[in-house]
Amino acid sequence: MPDAPNKANTKQKSWGVGWLIAVLLLLPLLSAGYKVGVLHYALTDALPDDEYSVTVSMRLDGRGERAKVRTFLPVEDSRQKVMTLTPASSAAFRFSESNERDNRVGNWLGTEVSDGTKLGYTAVVRLLGQRFELGPDIEVPKEHAKGLAKYLAAEEAVQSDNAEIVALMKQVQGDRGGARERIQRMFDTVQKLKFRPFSGTTDALTALRLGEASCNGKSRLLVAMMRASGIPARLVGGVVLESGKKRTSHQWVEAFAGGHWVPFDATNRHFAELPANYLVLYRGDETLFRHTSDTNFDYGFEIVRRQVPAERTLTTFPAFNVWALFDRLGLPFTLLQTVLMLPLGALVVVLFRNVIGVPTFGTFLPALIAAAAGETGLFWGIVAVTVVMLGVVAMRAALNRFGLLMSPTLAILLACVVFMMLGTAMVAEHLGLQELTRLAYFPIAVMAIASERFYLIVSEGSTKKAFKHLAGTLLVVAACHLVMNSIAMQVLVSGFPEFLLWAIAANVYLGRWVGVRVVELMRFKAVAAGAGGSHVAAH
Amino acid sequence: MWLLTDLAEAFRNRSRYGTLVGMNARNVALVRAYNRREDYLFADDKILCKSLLEQGGVAVPPTIATGEGLRDIPRLLGLLRGRSNFVVKPASGSGGDGIVVVGEADEGGWQTAKGRFMDEAELGRHLAEIVFGAFSNDLEDRILIEERIVPHALFAEFFSGGVSDIRIILLEGAPLMGMVRIPTLASGGRANLHQGGIGVAMDLATGVTFRAVSGGESVLRHPETGGALIGRQLPHWEQTMEVARLAAASVPLGYVGVDIVVDAVRGPLVLELNARPGLEIQNINGRGLRAALAGAGKEVA
Repeated sequence: MPDAPNKANTKQKSWGVGWLIAVLLLLPLLSAGYKVGVLHYALTDALPDDEYSVTVSMRLDGRGERAKVRTFLPVEDSRQKVMTLTPASSAAFRFSESNERDNRVGNWLGTEVSDGTKLGYTAVVRLLGQRFELGPDIEVPKEHAKGLAKYLAAEEAVQSDNAEIVALMKQVQGDRGGARERIQRMFDTVQKLKFRPFSGTTDALTALRLGEASCNGKSRLLVAMMRASGIPARLVGGVVLESGKKRTSHQWVEAFAGGHWVPFDATNRHFAELPANYLVLYRGDETLFRHTSDTNFDYGFEIVRRQVPAERTLTTFPAFNVWALFDRLGLPFTLLQTVLMLPLGALVVVLFRNVIGVPTFGTFLPALIAAAAGETGLFWGIVAVTVVMLGVVAMRAALNRFGLLMSPTLAILLACVVFMMLGTAMVAEHLGLQELTRLAYFPIAVMAIASERFYLIVSEGSTKKAFKHLAGTLLVVAACHLVMNSIAMQVLVSGFPEFLLWAIAANVYLGRWVGVRVVELMRFKAVAAGAGGSHVAAH
Repeated sequence: MWLLTDLAEAFRNRSRYGTLVGMNARNVALVRAYNRREDYLFADDKILCKSLLEQGGVAVPPTIATGEGLRDIPRLLGLLRGRSNFVVKPASGSGGDGIVVVGEADEGGWQTAKGRFMDEAELGRHLAEIVFGAFSNDLEDRILIEERIVPHALFAEFFSGGVSDIRIILLEGAPLMGMVRIPTLASGGRANLHQGGIGVAMDLATGVTFRAVSGGESVLRHPETGGALIGRQLPHWEQTMEVARLAAASVPLGYVGVDIVVDAVRGPLVLELNARPGLEIQNINGRGLRAALAGAGKEVA
């Protein structure tokens, strides 16, 4: 009989473990120290940029006749970079692009346009936030360059020469002091107007008289007052980018001060600044969509935000540059983030399993499900897994009577999982449940393995245990999701992947940790309280 | 809220948990330290285990036949036709899954111990499932067919609808702790504690029972049969402990659980070994395994 390994052996191993942990903790510090000290890495350089895919979709009933549609395309400037622009339209239309004044216009011209025709474009843009410091010494000049004359003149809906508007401007001392003081006073006045989410056009005077307006009314009034005060000003139209679908466009203002066009949004209180999610579509008092008058017309925006490595990232990290690698391979940045965060997710799972004692479907699965839920969102990821697992129970009940062997049953299970995911997505689309259709995005491999684990426990005759494991898994998925989606963690790990060695060090430690799990505190509480003491003493 | 108050109480008693072995300590300091992974097989494969036990001179239930592969099934069915009182087991099953206890032979089939008629086709299908690894989390498995045990009168008195067994945990040959596992109707005639079986602790020196636990509660009698569980002298105790030591010495496993049944005629027989015996035995005994280890002069991490 071979001898069982003895204790001395174990002790020796744990001595080596201490050194291993020390090395694993030290290496990242050395490497990170070298990168920061010698290569001048900065964590902020690893912060990803936001990239937006903006789809402007229009729909019109052409009734088989000739139709013309035009809208603005995003301009390219110092704060707004258009990566790609793809027009979309049916064959009946001819697309052309033109420049009008400061703006870029897309024209669709169609003959024999049928009802329900869809057209539009998708632009992928990267934006920068903007903030101006308006010094108190910036004067409002008596005379402006000739080219600015049109930004001082009254317009049909911007009645800067109207007595009431001029009176209000004077009342709030919009004509006293430097540019900054004047603008501040007029901005505050307009900003205090009651906001009313009103979709039609409001001219400056109406906004003043009503004392309330939507963004376009407020902006027109602010432009009118600025012009009355002798400050060149213009309207700006665009879309505030937030992931999802919307119909609302937005208007704000630019004033010419100190040699720059400075942005002001009195509706959302942005003074001399513009957030990084304001997409500019046009400048001037324009209408966003123009079309042949007698058609039934509708429009909408769909915005998808994704994180991409900043360009400074690609250039500032020469050592172990995984972004550049993914960039060259044409792989999405989110995949890199997921891959880098998986070891941390697995560590979270280990903490839950070995320190708390939460049962899960294996060690990788909760982390993988959390990664997969990055596509669908945590809530819908959990819904997706739960829906499919309930389907597995139903399938088990239906197939049980046939007494099939295990492997063929599992093969049927996989088919059912596929049907369930696609079926749910179809039904969800039919019912207009946009969120639930994302079930189809859920990686089938992850779902299939989760189903198999779940089924094996159910088939051991323990549905209760299977649901306990499912509940434990989903709890740990939520925890993994929190950690894996934490921007701080992502930035740290993508800038300094060597810190993943710390996760390994933690696992080495946990691999030798013999403490009592939290759930075992409960399980053995009677023993700890001395339950059997008297009996033992009796013998 | 009870969770929080329980946790707070556990935290107050934290020093006393030092006498206990938790799952992590069991895995690292006992299973991993004393059993090599490649040796688990000597406990996990019932057929292999049995051959080692027989070589070591340990009394085991007589084997009727073993089988491997689908082609073997007609031979096994032929062998069993008209035969009474046998048990069919998957060689690598766990937790009693896939075990069928067969009573009297009947026209074209058998009566199972649970009082159901099973025809040849059904037994054949069950044998095929075993071969396909349905009970072993593996692609294939072997079949073990043994003679059925007739429990000693005391165990039959505890509960007659299933077989009670004795689990003794040993470290390097030193017995640490033991318990009797008694089935209940609620557990479907199985002795598994997590399925509703009753655990009864005995003094290893004398074989007298001193504590019984059913569903997490300390009890004095079998909740269904009313049979007294405490202060009972287990039969053939010295022989039982000798069999346990001999069994542990027959396999290259330092930390091992030995499962024993006491047959009315043959006395203590080893049913199977476990290379990763569970921790619930501590709740049954009301005592931690670390305390038992210290008592046996063993100290682990």
